[in-house]
Amino acid sequence: MASVSFSKIEKSFGTTKVIHGIGFDITDGEFVVLVGPSGCGKSTLLRMLAGLEEITSGTIAIDGRVVNDVESKDRDIAMVFQSYALYPHMTVGDNMAFSLKLRKADPAIIADRVSKASKILNLDPYLKRYPRELSGGQRQRVAMGRAIVRDPKVFLFDEPLSNLDAKLRVAMRAEIKALHQRLKTTTVYVTHDQVEAMTMADRIVVMHDGRIEQIGTPLELYDRPGNLFVAQFIGSPAMNVVTGTVRRAGGAAHVDADGAVHWPLDGGPGADGQAVSYGIRPEHLTLSPNGSGVPGAIIVVEPTGAETELLIQVGKEQVTLRTHGRPRVYPDQKVHLAVDPANVHLFDQGTGQRLTA
Amino acid sequence: MNMRKVTTEAKLLLIGIPVLIWTMLPIYHLLLFAISPKEQAMGGQLWPDHPTLRNFAIVFRQDHHYLNFFWLQMWNSLVIAVAVGLITLMIATGAAFAISRLKVRGGRMAMNLALLTYFIPAAFLAVPMYKTMGVYGILNNQWSLILAMVTIATPYSIWVLKQASDKLPYELDEAAKIDGASPLQLFRLVYLPLMMPSLVAVGTYALLLAWNEYLYAFLLLSSERDITLGVALGNFLAADDSPWELLMTTGLLYALPPAAIYYTFKRYMVGGLTAGAVKS
Repeated sequence: MASVSFSKIEKSFGTTKVIHGIGFDITDGEFVVLVGPSGCGKSTLLRMLAGLEEITSGTIAIDGRVVNDVESKDRDIAMVFQSYALYPHMTVGDNMAFSLKLRKADPAIIADRVSKASKILNLDPYLKRYPRELSGGQRQRVAMGRAIVRDPKVFLFDEPLSNLDAKLRVAMRAEIKALHQRLKTTTVYVTHDQVEAMTMADRIVVMHDGRIEQIGTPLELYDRPGNLFVAQFIGSPAMNVVTGTVRRAGGAAHVDADGAVHWPLDGGPGADGQAVSYGIRPEHLTLSPNGSGVPGAIIVVEPTGAETELLIQVGKEQVTLRTHGRPRVYPDQKVHLAVDPANVHLFDQGTGQRLTA
Repeated sequence: MNMRKVTTEAKLLLIGIPVLIWTMLPIYHLLLFAISPKEQAMGGQLWPDHPTLRNFAIVFRQDHHYLNFFWLQMWNSLVIAVAVGLITLMIATGAAFAISRLKVRGGRMAMNLALLTYFIPAAFLAVPMYKTMGVYGILNNQWSLILAMVTIATPYSIWVLKQASDKLPYELDEAAKIDGASPLQLFRLVYLPLMMPSLVAVGTYALLLAWNEYLYAFLLLSSERDITLGVALGNFLAADDSPWELLMTTGLLYALPPAAIYYTFKRYMVGGLTAGAVKS
């Protein structure tokens, strides 16, 4: 187990700069997820940590040792690839034992470690099989087994669940999390799926265009997104964002949006006349029972069983509302939305940064 | 079986049967000569009156002045062909690994330059090659033929192996690298086993190319004890009264090893070993 530290990392491919000075620390035993849209540099960052990609400038340290010029094999890391990357000509057992054999480990130790890892991952019955004889989920587990037997300082996962179908993905998600809780090995996990990030991470690093947008625990990011990008990236369905101008007069305050819609505000941030993006999560919008609130018209009703999602036209914008239960509403129905100003997120319209009081 | 399938098969047979006859006819004549007695060899019959294996006995016992070194020449052919196959494989595999997996700078250009040599027909290069071997002082030495054939076989082999290498997922190399494999271990433990079908195919190609070579073998080797069986067969035609039945018998025997090699390695020519490596 180990800590990992990125400091002023930059990466260019030819003249194209893809990572612009990234720095953060991962503490011992932490499960950190790098998340962001494709092309944001998250995989590149992971591959630099793995030693598969040169570092243009800056330093990466594992347990305080700078590893910029250390070969992959000497960094004491193990990686699980999106495509599994199992050796097709070796059995499951040989795949898992390969790294230890290369290190000329004692055969007894190899057998012991492989057997332990295969027990943890329920791979015992498949040790003599070839990868082509396994299902996708089993192959993924072999790839994890290959990482476990190494007993490395850091586990690296590069979109490991992207090739699995939705149901299996949820199951493997839980398996990986359980594995981490059991082994407590420092883990860096790359995904483009914010749900994976939210459910698995101790801390999430949200990346965009080669920069870090925000670092925090899943709930910190959810409750206090630092900017508009994080606000809209984290959470499903995404946060509603409408643009408008802050109006403060006397004690009352609201955001004046297109179409003469008044979104309520409290005494928090946002100066009179400031152009803002007004954000509110779908579950923080409710249907007002008494005809007060923001007026709108229902466009679509989407029941999902436990919850119902409503797409609502408000002025010139469309917003999503999520509610428990099954409200009796129908398309084209006129409704009013109640908003608790305490749940509102305000962002500067120009910079996209969160406004704080 | 539905109607459409029947018509498809009928069409295939309509093409297949003439092609089969076309291919088999010369071989049939080869066989016909080989089992005919000398006096009936040129008789033009579809089947000899008294089929005989006497010709084979003569060849096996080297009982004719054209056949004094039959076994030695067969051996020469074999040694040269196997050597060409192995050396070509070594060079081409190394080159393909370096170009495709290690991405050595300038590797692609080297491969393309090598392929460029195919623009000049091998026959045009025969005389320069003869001179070159003379400069090296290895004329009349079997190494001259081996090296010449390796030169001819290598560019195509590199190209084929490079294409096959490119199809191996690159993540395998990265996984091996993280697992602690050096480039040499990667080559030996991961690359070679996965390339086996292509290696067999390319090795067979080079081997058969050398086995079937006439022009270069004829030019570069002269002693009766050094030449290949192919050249020896050509020498049958040096006289006016060529023993056709013996020529054809020897030819038939000459054709057997390639057929055997091809048959043995047939299954390797089909890929499929990489299935399950990555999700495609």
